[in-house]
Amino acid sequence: MTADEKVKVDVIVVGGGPAGLSAAYTMAKAGLEVILIERGETCGSKNVGGLLYGTILNQMIPRFYEKAPIERPVSKRTIVFLGGAEHAALTFGDDQWSIPPYNNTFIVQRSQFDRWFSGEAEKAGVSLLEGTVADELIYEGVNGERKAVGVRIRGNEEFYADAVILADGANALLTEKTSKEMNLKGGKTKQDYAVGVKEIITLGKGKIEDRFNLESNEGTAVDFLGSPFEGLIGGGFIYTAKETVSIGFAARLESVIHSGLSPNQIMDGFKRHPVVRKYLEGGELAEYSAHLIPEGGYRAVPQLAANGVMIAGDAAGLVNMSLYKEGTNHAMESGKTAGETAASAKAKGDFSSKTLGEYEAKFRRGTAMRDLKKYRDLPKVLETTPELLSLYPLKMTRMLTDYFTVTAASKSETQKKALMNFLKGLPKFKFVRNMIRGRKVL
Amino acid sequence: MGSEIFNLTLADKLYRTKYETNTDHTHIKVNDEICPKCDGKPCTFGCPAEVYKKNPNDPNRITVSFENCLECGTCIKICPLGSIDWKFPDGGMGVKYRFG
Ligand SMILES: Cc1cc2nc3c(=O)[nH]c(=O)nc-3n(C[C@H](O)[C@H](O)[C@H](O)COP(=O)(O)OP(=O)(O)OC[C@H]3O[C@@H](n4cnc5c(N)ncnc54)[C@H](O)[C@@H]3O)c2cc1C
Ligand code: SF4
Ligand code: SF4
Repeated sequence: MTADEKVKVDVIVVGGGPAGLSAAYTMAKAGLEVILIERGETCGSKNVGGLLYGTILNQMIPRFYEKAPIERPVSKRTIVFLGGAEHAALTFGDDQWSIPPYNNTFIVQRSQFDRWFSGEAEKAGVSLLEGTVADELIYEGVNGERKAVGVRIRGNEEFYADAVILADGANALLTEKTSKEMNLKGGKTKQDYAVGVKEIITLGKGKIEDRFNLESNEGTAVDFLGSPFEGLIGGGFIYTAKETVSIGFAARLESVIHSGLSPNQIMDGFKRHPVVRKYLEGGELAEYSAHLIPEGGYRAVPQLAANGVMIAGDAAGLVNMSLYKEGTNHAMESGKTAGETAASAKAKGDFSSKTLGEYEAKFRRGTAMRDLKKYRDLPKVLETTPELLSLYPLKMTRMLTDYFTVTAASKSETQKKALMNFLKGLPKFKFVRNMIRGRKVL
Repeated sequence: MGSEIFNLTLADKLYRTKYETNTDHTHIKVNDEICPKCDGKPCTFGCPAEVYKKNPNDPNRITVSFENCLECGTCIKICPLGSIDWKFPDGGMGVKYRFG
């Protein structure tokens, strides 16, 4: 390609998920010329998710929930502690959660939602290049002085820009390659992953509203602590869409390898658990999907900016794996911040690591990183105290069922027995220490 | 009838998921020199789409049904010996989630 044929824009974004779309949208609104490259036929066609927390999206597109393909808001939540056959559940909610702004918590189908968001980005002026794989970055200079100046796509075509925003998600082949080529600093700890498997089950509106006790404008999120297999570290969920429910289970990779179970077997075990089963009975499978989830948290967050490059979303591991399981909102906050930084870099005419480093500095001061910091010990706690998510939920549920088991024995005998059963097999000091650690999970 | 969704085989499940496959171009290759040295062979159970199977004629080797791949990336992370050469399918090809 000769120099005058060269396609050059202000910024190229790789990845049309929440992170990349937020970056592209923000930049286009600020008047920048932006190309977004997405390997799926349409944005969203490769993406898997659960809930959408909408605080950042609402800043970009006020009252987005009036236009976006929202399935249902989350009007109430349930946390279920799973044991073998026993279970304990806690349901809570607020009438406010069923009216705007719906507690900023929504159930969406990512393939449809991302596609909608890409339409908004396009309206704002972003050039979408869908069905296109970004294979590598193009650089100027060598080693420490390297500066990204463009993207080479599959088929060897080249696109140039003053900066590239990498928002390529959890399976971040391009971010990993670029990090090596530009010698970027990794996080303090290495990134860990869970594999999330998910099924979409068609139940029909009526059954969903009956079974989950919902009005037609309401929805619910049921999260499960404890797992269908002893020693397996992970957690499941059921979220209600309009006509379908999404059921998923995310298990840590080391734990999957250790268990020798396949993610599909884990999913089936979860589905067949007596508590879970009742929700799904009579449904039809509409889709089976799988996706990685970065779990390393705060300490695994790598260098986020370099000469001509910014990294956002799951590609940077920005997921909070506590009970919130928050990834989309963090992806959006990082994408939006990277987009704002690009706009000020454009105004200055300087896309060096110094200017783009303002993205990292600003993002690290923001809400997402403060949340990630609060849960920074979570990955370690799960590694060193796996019983928090397996044994304790099981013990808890057993204690509650024991407590309420009705026999001829007196209440105090029953309660004493329940307590003894609970403490059995739990080393006392370890238990206290673990309860302290448990605060880091919740 | 009602219990059907609890007894689906993986093939039944993958059948519900939409793909567009480039049948003459695999995006996944394993290294036959390396796999025989791998004891646990975690790819054979860790993949949610069971893309990797022990070769029935030589259980030390691995066969790859790339057309079932859900593009999650798990295999790349769990292969202990770096035997898997995994690229994205060409643009627009591979899995196409309708829900996601
Ligand atoms: C089962 C499951 C449940 C979840 N539940 C929740 C939840 O309840 N709440 C929550 O907030 N989060 C949840 N998450 C996490 C959330 O889905 C992610 O954090 C979020 O999608 C990250 O957005 P992203 O834009 O960084 O990445 P993605 O959404 O993964 O987008 C990355 C995009 O880049 C594209 N891409 C990648 N490489 C290339 C390339 N080389 N060239 C071109 N395109 C490329 C991909 O096709 C994809 O479209 C869940 C995840 C899973 C798997
Ligand atoms: S895990 Fe890797 S090295 Fe082991 S058998 Fe599978 S592909 Fe080969
Ligand atoms: S990417 Fe996921 S679905 Fe595809 S082969 Fe690897 S583990 Fe299996």
